[in-house]
Amino acid sequence: MSQMPKLQETAPKGAWEPRIVAFLCNWCSYAGADLAGVSRIQYPPHIRIIRVPCSGRINPAFLLRALQNGADGVLVSGCHPGDCHYISGNLAARRKFALFKDLLAYAGIEPERVQFTWVSASEGGRFAAVVEKVVEQVRKLGPNTKLVKRL
Amino acid sequence: MTASHEIETRLREVAEGLLGDRKVDLFLGYEKTTLPFRTSPLFLTAPDKANRLVWNPFCTVNLAVYLARLFKAPADAREAQRAPPAPTVGLVLKGCDTRSVVALVQERQVPREKLVLVGVACPGMADTRKAERALGQYEALGAGEDPQGNVRAVIEDGTEVTLRREEILADACLECRSPTPAIHDFLLGEPSEARNADVARRRAVELESQPPGARWARFQEAFSKCIRCNACRQACPMCYCKDCLLDQARPRWIGAGTDFSDVALYHLVRAFHMAGRCTECGACVRACPMGIDVRLLVRRLNLDVEDLYKYRPGTAIDAVPVLSAFAIDDPQEFLTEP
Repeated sequence: MSQMPKLQETAPKGAWEPRIVAFLCNWCSYAGADLAGVSRIQYPPHIRIIRVPCSGRINPAFLLRALQNGADGVLVSGCHPGDCHYISGNLAARRKFALFKDLLAYAGIEPERVQFTWVSASEGGRFAAVVEKVVEQVRKLGPNTKLVKRL
Repeated sequence: MTASHEIETRLREVAEGLLGDRKVDLFLGYEKTTLPFRTSPLFLTAPDKANRLVWNPFCTVNLAVYLARLFKAPADAREAQRAPPAPTVGLVLKGCDTRSVVALVQERQVPREKLVLVGVACPGMADTRKAERALGQYEALGAGEDPQGNVRAVIEDGTEVTLRREEILADACLECRSPTPAIHDFLLGEPSEARNADVARRRAVELESQPPGARWARFQEAFSKCIRCNACRQACPMCYCKDCLLDQARPRWIGAGTDFSDVALYHLVRAFHMAGRCTECGACVRACPMGIDVRLLVRRLNLDVEDLYKYRPGTAIDAVPVLSAFAIDDPQEFLTEP
């Protein structure tokens, strides 16, 4: 645990750091994140994981709510196509995700704010690599200002 | 193009026949109102009233919007026992309205066998606001149609002004690719050819040629006028959910106010729910009291559906709705790879 980079080590205190909400499916990606953990693979500590039963459970309203409540980015990950615990949950979700990502782009929200991927339970390394990439891209974009509700 | 009055005569005959022979319990059409450039939906049950039906360039309302309500499933067994048997409904449909009916049948909201579809080859409908704007400072006292299909308006001092139909066509009609109902039990008028098929694509593609910042500015400019009256939801024949996301209180997904964050969420969610379902009738645009081009995002999204999944909403009655279907080799270039 002593090797775990702390937030303060990567940035001066008080500086903005991206906050990313990750929706991970119970059967593959959550287990993949777990594997990354037990394998002691380092990845940025900027993600907050929400476990969902299946990527097919994800309503795009979840992702919008995350952005509205101040998340700088959202990551969604499920089982690889063909590996879904519920046979086709991720396949049905894939069409929704493809359209939703385009929709945000047409409205002018940077496509890197909302990212989708597949991570299996054995891909701890891939999970860490995806998180690193997402954090890097969102850091470049800066804080999410467009959809955040300030009242 | 068949003249409107011929279609009107035929329409009255058809409606009278259907109601007289008890083929339908209810016939939905349009009737004259006191206001120019408008018609009002007409619910007919008596065959002798069929002469109230009209057909003119202002028959804009998409009558399919009433269907999901007429065929609403009972909430529980007790209600099912008390509910009267579902009516048989005949209705007047333009090309776009027919697509809405087909999409409702596809989504199992309306039984096809309870419907008699009276399709009209649509020459494109006039936009009330465009017509009013075309008159400038003058207010119309009455309006009709000349034999060429142009709109004639009578203004205050009794002079007649001719408004060319092409100039006051609704935006949805300018973009329309299939004005003639593909599925129908009766077809009135000669099938009209599609107007410029590329208009929608050009409008949509123009949107994405800009950088994200400019698109966001455009989105803000278009929708910041929104007063969150939900008229676009009410007018849409495809918005039939009994328990709308907007009405849910736990969680309250989208705040009810006009904070732009909530407005943006509302329109993003609405557009997303319309993806692959919107039949492009323009009911939302007509309903909007603020004159917002409510279809801005849906227009583009529907093209995505067409490009990615080769699907056009409301064109095949036995097709599985696009977001209920999937294929193992669906495109997934949008994914993030490490």
